[in-house]
Amino acid sequence: MKIARSLFRGSLLAYTALFFAFIYIPLVVIAVYSFNSNPVNMMTWTGFTTEWYAQVLGFKTTVSENALYIESTGQLIQAVWNSLVIATSTTLIATVFGTAIAIGLYRFNFLGQRFYRVIMFMPMLMPDIVLGIALLIFFVNSGISLGLTTIIIGQCTFLISYVFIVVSARLAGMDRTLENASADLGADEWTTFRRVVLPQLLPGIVGGALLAFIISMDDLVITYFIAGVDVTTLPMFIFAMLRRGIKPEINAIAVMMLTFSFVVASLGLYLRFRQK
Amino acid sequence: MSIASRRRVQLAVLLGPVSLFLAVFFLGPLAIMMVTSFLAPGLYGGVEWTFYPHNFGRILGFADPMFEDFDPVYIAIFIRSVKIAALTVFAALLVCYPAAFCIARLSERWKNFCLFLITLPFFTSLIVRLFVWVLILRQTGLVNEMLLSSGLIARPLDLIYTDGAIILGMVYVFIPFMFMPVYASVEKLDWTLVRASLDLGAGPIRTFWRIILPLTAPGIVGGAIIVFIPALGNFVVPAILGGAKVMMLGNLIEQQFLAARNWPFGSALAMMVMSVMLVLLLVYVLASGRRGADATLNR
Repeated sequence: MKIARSLFRGSLLAYTALFFAFIYIPLVVIAVYSFNSNPVNMMTWTGFTTEWYAQVLGFKTTVSENALYIESTGQLIQAVWNSLVIATSTTLIATVFGTAIAIGLYRFNFLGQRFYRVIMFMPMLMPDIVLGIALLIFFVNSGISLGLTTIIIGQCTFLISYVFIVVSARLAGMDRTLENASADLGADEWTTFRRVVLPQLLPGIVGGALLAFIISMDDLVITYFIAGVDVTTLPMFIFAMLRRGIKPEINAIAVMMLTFSFVVASLGLYLRFRQK
Repeated sequence: MSIASRRRVQLAVLLGPVSLFLAVFFLGPLAIMMVTSFLAPGLYGGVEWTFYPHNFGRILGFADPMFEDFDPVYIAIFIRSVKIAALTVFAALLVCYPAAFCIARLSERWKNFCLFLITLPFFTSLIVRLFVWVLILRQTGLVNEMLLSSGLIARPLDLIYTDGAIILGMVYVFIPFMFMPVYASVEKLDWTLVRASLDLGAGPIRTFWRIILPLTAPGIVGGAIIVFIPALGNFVVPAILGGAKVMMLGNLIEQQFLAARNWPFGSALAMMVMSVMLVLLLVYVLASGRRGADATLNR
């Protein structure tokens, strides 16, 4: 019995190790092969090079034209810039709105509150293709021309849900006695909110905002439908590249994106997990 | 001003603007999509403002007799998408469930670290994570290169552009969706009940079926729904790992909007995806009550 048990424990542990290997080995693979100098067969190692990164970043390289996409670095930078503009605006709007809902549902009791809460989960759960085409039909019918504005509005609809959930979780774990103490000691409601509630809530808000930023930077499907013809975001740019064939440049872009989102997401998740 | 009316004003300030925003830009578009799905497609794109149930008819078997015979290809794509989504759910559960048991029994520090590692990929670019699998699975990909050079196979295997590749890709990107709810219920599992069952003479297999599985069922069902919904209408994974050969609902909808320009038909297809989602959610909320649903969704 004892042997069977430790055997079971061991295999469970091995399984979990495999589980993490499944998640992370592909990412390690791409990071390693992004330094492979082979221009044709990306998975056959022929030597170490940083040329692909140099190429993507717009430096002069000796890479032959056949191994490159036609796009200039300028277009990539434009796509990154668009993504940053969109993500910054959506994060600001979604954070204010999402926090407002979380506080509203936490502090007040009203008729239909439960229903309202369920509705707030809907934008996040809605399959993105459904939301994408619904927004497309809506914008086209209402005569709003597609572009940055429509992307920002469209992304906000579901990012509000994400911020709302993160901030709500923080509120649920908050100590209400501090608020009562503040009120007992004579602080008015606004002072209590500003000096007691908000500081406790801040990590949740910042965490929610960072996550909203990352999700916005990454959104492909909804943006794809409501971007119109003139605006390209980073995920759309890569998607278009992938559809035309795979060249080593994408590796370098992909690894830079992975690194960036790992850093921002780590910060956001750290803030979220720290409370517990 | 009385306290009650002041609170009413505060509530209106907090919830008013955002409710308006979501009513206009979330519920509004969905309502318009619903209307569009019942309109006739115009000759050159666009729509005709007449009631036209045959968009759904083309899928479900009562196509417009004026234009075409019923072609079961659309219902076949629907069924196939359901099948692929269901297999994805099943595979994701197989991957996550045992790992959840292992992680739930670790020390607090390791637990948090593992949860962090599992959540992290969710926030990295979806398209990059799928692209990695293209590099691994394609004809000249990592797996084929390794198998070829070791002499195990003589010609590259067809790994990419298959149903299997789509399922693999979806499992890979949906792991956090499945893991979190499953983990939540595994962590809450009362091990004294398991011990009692074993002490009273039930074998480990019987204990699993009668005690462990029923007690973790809410998490399994929650994870299954949260994975099934985005898997059913997925369009990016089949577009990248399914090539042109494998058509799923998501690609069909994209095609209707961006290539065929038959918006009413595309809307009808999207309505079907949405109704599946709403039915699943309704069943879940009714079955588990409010507390269970909130706990799962809040993870």
